[in-house]
Amino acid sequence: MTEGADLAALAGHFGARLRGAGIAVTPERAGTFARAVLLTEAATLPELYWCARVTLVSRLEEVAAFDTAFWAVFGGRADPVGERGDPNAPALPPPATAPRATAANGAPVPPAGPAGGARHGLDWTGQQPGSGRAVAVPGLASDEERLASRDFAELDREQLARLRGAMSALLRATPTRLSRRTRRHRRGSHLDLRATLRRSRRSGADPVRRLRRRRRPRPRRLILLLDISGSMEPYAQAYLQLLHCAARTSRAEGFTFATRLTRLTRLLRSATPAAALERAGRAAPDWSGGTRIGPALQAFLDRYGRRGLAHGAVVLVVSDGWERGDPALVGAQMARLARLAHRVVWVNPRKAAEGFQPLAGGMAAALPYCDALVSGHSLEAMAEVARALAPDCAAGPAPGP
Amino acid sequence: MTDLRQRVPGVEPLRLALDAVDYLADTGLATALYCAVGLAQPLLLEGEAGVGKTEAAKALAQVLDTRLVRLQCYEGIDAAEALYEWNYPRQLLGIRLAEAGGAALRDEDLFGEAYLIERPLLAALRHPGPRPAVLLVDEVDRADDEFEAFLLELLGEATVTIPELGTVRAAHPPLVILTSNRTRDLHDALKRRCLYHWIDYPSLERAVAIVRRRVPGSTRPLVEQAARAVARLRALDLQKPPGIAETINWVAALELLGVETLDAAAAERTLGSILKYREDQELAASTGLAALVGD
Repeated sequence: MTEGADLAALAGHFGARLRGAGIAVTPERAGTFARAVLLTEAATLPELYWCARVTLVSRLEEVAAFDTAFWAVFGGRADPVGERGDPNAPALPPPATAPRATAANGAPVPPAGPAGGARHGLDWTGQQPGSGRAVAVPGLASDEERLASRDFAELDREQLARLRGAMSALLRATPTRLSRRTRRHRRGSHLDLRATLRRSRRSGADPVRRLRRRRRPRPRRLILLLDISGSMEPYAQAYLQLLHCAARTSRAEGFTFATRLTRLTRLLRSATPAAALERAGRAAPDWSGGTRIGPALQAFLDRYGRRGLAHGAVVLVVSDGWERGDPALVGAQMARLARLAHRVVWVNPRKAAEGFQPLAGGMAAALPYCDALVSGHSLEAMAEVARALAPDCAAGPAPGP
Repeated sequence: MTDLRQRVPGVEPLRLALDAVDYLADTGLATALYCAVGLAQPLLLEGEAGVGKTEAAKALAQVLDTRLVRLQCYEGIDAAEALYEWNYPRQLLGIRLAEAGGAALRDEDLFGEAYLIERPLLAALRHPGPRPAVLLVDEVDRADDEFEAFLLELLGEATVTIPELGTVRAAHPPLVILTSNRTRDLHDALKRRCLYHWIDYPSLERAVAIVRRRVPGSTRPLVEQAARAVARLRALDLQKPPGIAETINWVAALELLGVETLDAAAAERTLGSILKYREDQELAASTGLAALVGD
């Protein structure tokens, strides 16, 4: 096994095999693998396994695919992974796949009737100043103007793509926070010694003018949680496009959910929106399936939100609130989310319909924890979404508390 | 390098050496650390909070009998905080003193060793040896992308240029260990250059062994009870499943209170040292503490 030529061939072949399984193994990494085998003089299968895993895998999500490929190539069932962890404890759900189990009483509950859903938080009646009047969308050509008021559900892909420019213009402003980095400022709070001293050379090493710095404002992170179940499909396309615009200009993270949660941020960094959308469709296999909002929110908070992703962020949830599971779980998870995030805005395209009342089980449970509920069903309505995200930045009365 | 190889001739010797400094590593982690030392490549460690990512770097430094330099990353960290800074107040004072004493002052006098504040990265590069320092870049995901790129360049070259002093080239390029809590994806360029290891929760026996090392005087039955309870707690749907660090704190708290066998009452009194969310505590209570701590 440690003979040079054979080892190189082995590393190369195995690398190619892993590439086939979707793990990005560069020749450089395959070389590192070979060097590691030589270095550790790996003789047993577990030793080889660890050498390969340490050098060829670079994220937890790849471990399962790696394990499959490794044991397919090297055979044997002496799986060292089985030796790890506590044999007495029930297995943890694999982090990269299914969301955690539902609440103990996970039986489906019919959507709640006209219960007192909106208590302390948002009151859905009359909290949207100007939701009826037309909202000016900057920089639209006449053709786009015509499209701007149409419901996203009526637009085809091509028409949607024409609205890209307007969408990126909308998301210029998320609320800011003070970052740890500073910049020169006349009335800054602390002294810039480095610049003061440099300036003092002009006045014979006498620091005559004091220069100051202050902390620089940065836009908050935008997190989009997008429902891609069947009932939301036309809007999902539009909001994926919005996310694509945002991911390229500011710090934005995107997740989709229907029955499971999928992180899309990496996919959306690609060049064209069409390619990004297509890749996102492939990455989220439950595209246009049913909805389980509560477990999806829980998976988001457990895996990403709690670690810091949602701290102080602006969260945009796009869903019609039709929850198949227990609405109580949606409420509990929204409460967690509201405690972490700076602002939570719920976009429900159904709100645009005449006589809409937020009675769908999940929606009613979530409402007390939202800062704003907007319809966002067309480009004009999307301007309203932008205003709800950053009430201080936009003109006009701020929606929500 | 030969000196390093003599100290840790293989994966198993390294594991035993880590064991001797009270860090119990499994084969996977020992292989990762050994490859990082042997191939002189940075190692990226990920894992849930409290599984001993930071401790691994400390233990490695102890085994290699070398200096551990720790750089704690945070949002907005920049070169002045990570690499070096001039001591401006002291420079001002130096100018004043020279004026008062009528001494001639040259540029080199002000930009010399005495006025340089060494930050962790420079300290790791200038470590005199005989063995390379272990540089722990903790929670690298908290720093921003720009800092990541800067770090990458510095680690690749193992040199840094200070305009007033010249280029510092590391005589012994540091052994780099990065940890991440996965709050954001690290850049592929950084990942590509690193070895990678995911530290899992330890098995029950290993957890018992670790806690007994860390809490001197703890009795075996108590530690076993606590470790089993923690394993059961992890199986619940908790917001923050307890790690090994919490287990150690818990056993230490039980020891302090003079508890000899873990029962529901003792667990209730000390629940705050293992579950840090009210919802988690309520969930544990509703599951039944007696069932959780029972044999």
